[in-house]
Amino acid sequence: MAALVRLDAATLGYGGRALLAGVSVAVDPEDFLAVVGPNGGGKTTLLRTLLGLLPPLAGARVADGPLPVGYVPQRDHVDSLWPLSTGDVVTMGRVTRSGPGRRLSPGDAEVAREALARVGLGDLWSRSFGTLSGGQRQRTLIARALAAEPRLLALDEPTNGMDPAAELGAMDLLRELHAAGGLAVVMVSHRLEAVANYARRLAFVDKDQGLWKVGPLAEMLRPEALSRLYGRHVIVREEGGRRFVYPVGGEERP
Amino acid sequence: MSALSDFWSAAVIWRDPLVASVLAGALLGFLGVYVVLRRVVFVSAALTQLSTLGVIVSLLVLERLDLETDHQEVQLVVAWIFSVGGGLVLGTLGWGRRLPTEAGVGMAYVLAGALVILGANRLVHVAHDLNTMVFGNAVAVPFQDVVILLVVTGLVAGLHTLFRKEIVFASFDRETAEAMGLRVRLWGGVLFFTIGLAIPVAAHVVGALPVFAFLTVPAAAALLATRRLAAAQALATALGAVSAGGGYVASWVLQVPTGATMVVVAGAMVLPAWAWRRLRA
Repeated sequence: MAALVRLDAATLGYGGRALLAGVSVAVDPEDFLAVVGPNGGGKTTLLRTLLGLLPPLAGARVADGPLPVGYVPQRDHVDSLWPLSTGDVVTMGRVTRSGPGRRLSPGDAEVAREALARVGLGDLWSRSFGTLSGGQRQRTLIARALAAEPRLLALDEPTNGMDPAAELGAMDLLRELHAAGGLAVVMVSHRLEAVANYARRLAFVDKDQGLWKVGPLAEMLRPEALSRLYGRHVIVREEGGRRFVYPVGGEERP
Repeated sequence: MSALSDFWSAAVIWRDPLVASVLAGALLGFLGVYVVLRRVVFVSAALTQLSTLGVIVSLLVLERLDLETDHQEVQLVVAWIFSVGGGLVLGTLGWGRRLPTEAGVGMAYVLAGALVILGANRLVHVAHDLNTMVFGNAVAVPFQDVVILLVVTGLVAGLHTLFRKEIVFASFDRETAEAMGLRVRLWGGVLFFTIGLAIPVAAHVVGALPVFAFLTVPAAAALLATRRLAAAQALATALGAVSAGGGYVASWVLQVPTGATMVVVAGAMVLPAWAWRRLRA
């Protein structure tokens, strides 16, 4: 299966300043890749490089033709001051589909409505975006990404600042969307707990340690690997079919 | 009563200035919604200052070449170059991680202001006309200025109608728009091009203070009173027009300075908008 997009021995960075070298990763059409690492570790830089927004300083980014991307930013980055309805926000997902200077068609509105229904908010089309709860806002942003009919759904810290129930709901939704097929998911998160039960593959990134490692979830979730990443002893437990990751006291990294 | 009848009998004098003021108020009111929502209120102040600097520079160059300084079209073109150029730089370029955008805006504002003072100091012999050239004179606007304002308003309206969805997406959520393939610098550039285009011609008609006010106050009132972007833009356009027109008439009748009266009338509209929002809540 040809990769949707891949980085070959890429050096990540911006403004001519290298953050991390030797990054190789391929995202397959059915992938669910979670990129974890400490805050400021280079996760977002990796995502932006993968999406083609930042050129690699060395190495290469190779995409399988034009890649329709649905992007979900951190919820806090979206300005709730704007007087927009939920429908207005979701419809933005169609902007790049219709081309500049062209009006959105009734068909575009229909796709946007379906996307909102898919995330379970079909009845909130006319509600002001700024009045939605945190979880509803995140679902709306996911619906906007889906409205672009993407092959790759990219999410930057999608559960940041959510309460545990909302986080679980958002991650369950991502699993459902991915399971429906035809959609690769790449998400970055500093919350390992949030992705441990959902991703198929896991990548660790930390520019301060010069660390880049990617592999299947079961292989990457070993306590010794996690302890090295976070500089703390980490315990991984499985209860009731769910994995729990606990950082505990004691420095692991010298 | 006699002041009003005097006003009506002088229709030939105020017709063009009033039309120009209403157009300027409406145009800036519309653009102001983007200015307020993008949190770049002081960019408009800096652009007004840069536009003024453009006028001063054109006067200095004309004088240096021993040409008549009364070439308003030259002044306007140079003011546009400064204003549009400043808009594109301040509105679309960042300073990276080293400086916040506000630092660039502040530097542009204060440097342009200082250069205006220094330049004006060299133009003592045209000081009498300079105030009108730089800060506008809504009392006496030639028909030519009304035509220029109409053309600019048509161009801005056309661009914003044609590329509305791109400008809104790039302004509302730049990060996502860029990630999903929208050329955010281009559409941010289109927005700031239109703002840069509107400011010099509006400043020439109503003056610098009302320009800053019309880019801020009608939009603020409209955003308080409405819940949808299209409604906010329509209301801000109407409030801008009413503030400019109402301010012009009030200044004539009350025999007080025109620009300041327009700003006060615009400011008076915020209170009912705020009250309306409280009532609805």
